[in-house]
Amino acid sequence: MSRSREEAAMKRKRPDLDSPTQGLPDAERVVLSLVKNKKNLGIWVAEVKKEANLPPTLVDKSLTALVKKKLIKQVVNIQNKGKKHYMAVEFEPSEELTGGSWYSEGNLDKEFITVLRDTCLKVIELLKVATVEGIHNFLKKRKVVECTSQQIAEILNSMVLDNAIIEVKSTGLGEYHPIPVGSVCYRTASGVALGTGPKTIGPMASIPCGACPRISQCSPNGVISPQTCVYYTKWLNTEF
Amino acid sequence: MVSPHGIKLAVYLISSYFGDLNAKVCECLLQRGTQSLAQIVRFTELSRENVRNCLLVLIHHNCVQAFAVQQEGAFGEAPKVITNYMALFDNIIHKLRFPKFLEIVSEVLGEKVGKEGGKECEEIFEGLLQHGRLSLNQIIDRFKQTSNQGDSSAEAARDNFNKLVNARFVERCPAPEPFLGPPAEDETAAKKQGAKSAKIVKQTIEQRALAAAAPMESMRFLVETVTWNEASVETTDKKNTVVTLGTKRKQDNLESNTELLATDENKVLWRANFEEFIRRLRHKACVANVKVRVNNDAAIVLAATLELSRHSETKVRIDNSVPQSINAIYDEVIKRDGGLGMDLERIRASLVELGCETPLMAIDETYSVDLKNIIEQARIEEVECIVLKRYGREAYRMFRLLSKADRLLETDKISDTTFVEKKDAAKILFKLWKDDYLEMKKVIARGARQSEFILWKINKQSLWEHVLDEMYHAALNLRLRITHEQEQEKEILQMPREKLVKELHSELHNRYNRLRKVRITLESSLMNLDDALMLFHDF
Repeated sequence: MSRSREEAAMKRKRPDLDSPTQGLPDAERVVLSLVKNKKNLGIWVAEVKKEANLPPTLVDKSLTALVKKKLIKQVVNIQNKGKKHYMAVEFEPSEELTGGSWYSEGNLDKEFITVLRDTCLKVIELLKVATVEGIHNFLKKRKVVECTSQQIAEILNSMVLDNAIIEVKSTGLGEYHPIPVGSVCYRTASGVALGTGPKTIGPMASIPCGACPRISQCSPNGVISPQTCVYYTKWLNTEF
Repeated sequence: MVSPHGIKLAVYLISSYFGDLNAKVCECLLQRGTQSLAQIVRFTELSRENVRNCLLVLIHHNCVQAFAVQQEGAFGEAPKVITNYMALFDNIIHKLRFPKFLEIVSEVLGEKVGKEGGKECEEIFEGLLQHGRLSLNQIIDRFKQTSNQGDSSAEAARDNFNKLVNARFVERCPAPEPFLGPPAEDETAAKKQGAKSAKIVKQTIEQRALAAAAPMESMRFLVETVTWNEASVETTDKKNTVVTLGTKRKQDNLESNTELLATDENKVLWRANFEEFIRRLRHKACVANVKVRVNNDAAIVLAATLELSRHSETKVRIDNSVPQSINAIYDEVIKRDGGLGMDLERIRASLVELGCETPLMAIDETYSVDLKNIIEQARIEEVECIVLKRYGREAYRMFRLLSKADRLLETDKISDTTFVEKKDAAKILFKLWKDDYLEMKKVIARGARQSEFILWKINKQSLWEHVLDEMYHAALNLRLRITHEQEQEKEILQMPREKLVKELHSELHNRYNRLRKVRITLESSLMNLDDALMLFHDF
């Protein structure tokens, strides 16, 4: 922003010209202070209108003017993407608005998550057994991905849920030697089950009925029936 | 309470083995619970004669149990004794598993007495499965007919039969019609004693009947070598007096069954002991699960522990294996494949991996494995598989989160931990809830701003029931499809074999091959699915 020109423009009106807010019309100043008061939480347009005690059209005008002057910015609220939120430029949106470190611009940062997952899996395969701290240090030393140990813990947790790795308590023996006894560590699912998902496919899940979304509507001689079932036909024909 | 599709499957099985009339009677009993002959006649609208014959068939095949109860007479009349019939759902479903039972017989006895002897035992056992109940004489006659060895075959048959009884594969049939006294006395006594005994009173009349019908533990596997043994005469006399309390009509009805009461070996009836097979299959399932989930060593140790524990187990659904000393376990482990190289330390380590706690004092070092936990794990895995297949990976992750947490969790919390977009998460959770896989609770917080939270939870007990019902449904579907495929290709099946062979590579031949493969696929799937049925129902 060209501060000098602005200052020059305002010189005639006011002698002390420390901040850019000085030259604003009253309405804009009221709105700005409201927005600023909310700090990094941001404020919803409707709330501004309610609290500012100004005609709604004037509030809207002031908000757009302030955005133009780069004093406030519009931010996305993860809880409700439809509601317009504003925040003073000097603040970064809080976690409540963004949804935490996993979100970028209001969307789940899937790319980052996948990268971090793959990296963690590789590190665990390399180290055989590792704690959260161990993985974090490993990544920090090699500067692979930038993240906090909290993030690593969350990623590992979700990988446990995916059955890609398993959570164990260190016994202090053998492979667990460098890890204190009793501390939680992670290892790849042993044996057959490298990779993700359950170890064996259950007998129910391996037949069409196990995956059938319409099983509750299926009955012998009904509209959906085992005799006419398309899933069955497909299954029995592709089997060989 | 049996699930609706369980009943459908049972009825279908009965109708395919014994025809529609029997299926009708069976359905009536399964749907409406225990009933008397008159009630069955009324509800099925079959003739009395038909119903009676059906009941006889079903009783003979261990699908129905009769029992007598005393009923208060109305308006000062003397109390009446009425015979009631109950369907034995489990025994009907066991019909699906006969091939598995036969396999166990040939596995266990084949190992002990060599291939040849095992084969003979298997034949005798197969006869028992086919006929439901047989006396020893009938068994011997059947054996003579097939073996053509003359007189020596009777000896061999008796010998093989003893082996079956010793292995507990065969047991004496239960009493045909136990009499249950009025439960009034027990009830008043229980009320005084409070909550603890209230549990005992909860036992249904069906359970009491089964308990009363079961032969005494000492008699159950007793083969009499001397025909007129004094002790056995006494016991049967006792039984006789119990039964004579029944009405005359009942005796007319079940004349064929009164034979049961006679002592001489012609008349003692024998049947397959399903309990033993289910126990063995349960053990097998536990070992298989541990093998995949923990490791091979643990599986070997568990198999050894269960082998030792088996004879002392009193019921099938035992929570913990009977405690065994480390030395006994060691002796059994080294007898097994892959167990020879194991030392005490490795066995102890495996036992710890199985969830056993190391005893503090070394004086009495015994271990007992938590089987209930293993079964529970296996069930969870099975359901997780279904969720993954049906609802996708994200749903699988959420489901596992909920099953591990085992408490109410809020939608946002779930989506944060599992890295699923909040909107998608809500959608998936809602879908799972609609299909009865989850429970939902809404909580409304009234603060400065009113907000609504939705909480989710897995209720394992009701979920297991739901999954079991879907499995019965799936099993029925597999059976129906097998029948359907066979009907479709009727003309090929009725064709003489020579013609099929002649027309190699022709369209007919291809169709024949397709049918064969389809049947193998469907039937093996059914056998596997049956493992899951047992996991959720019998184990």
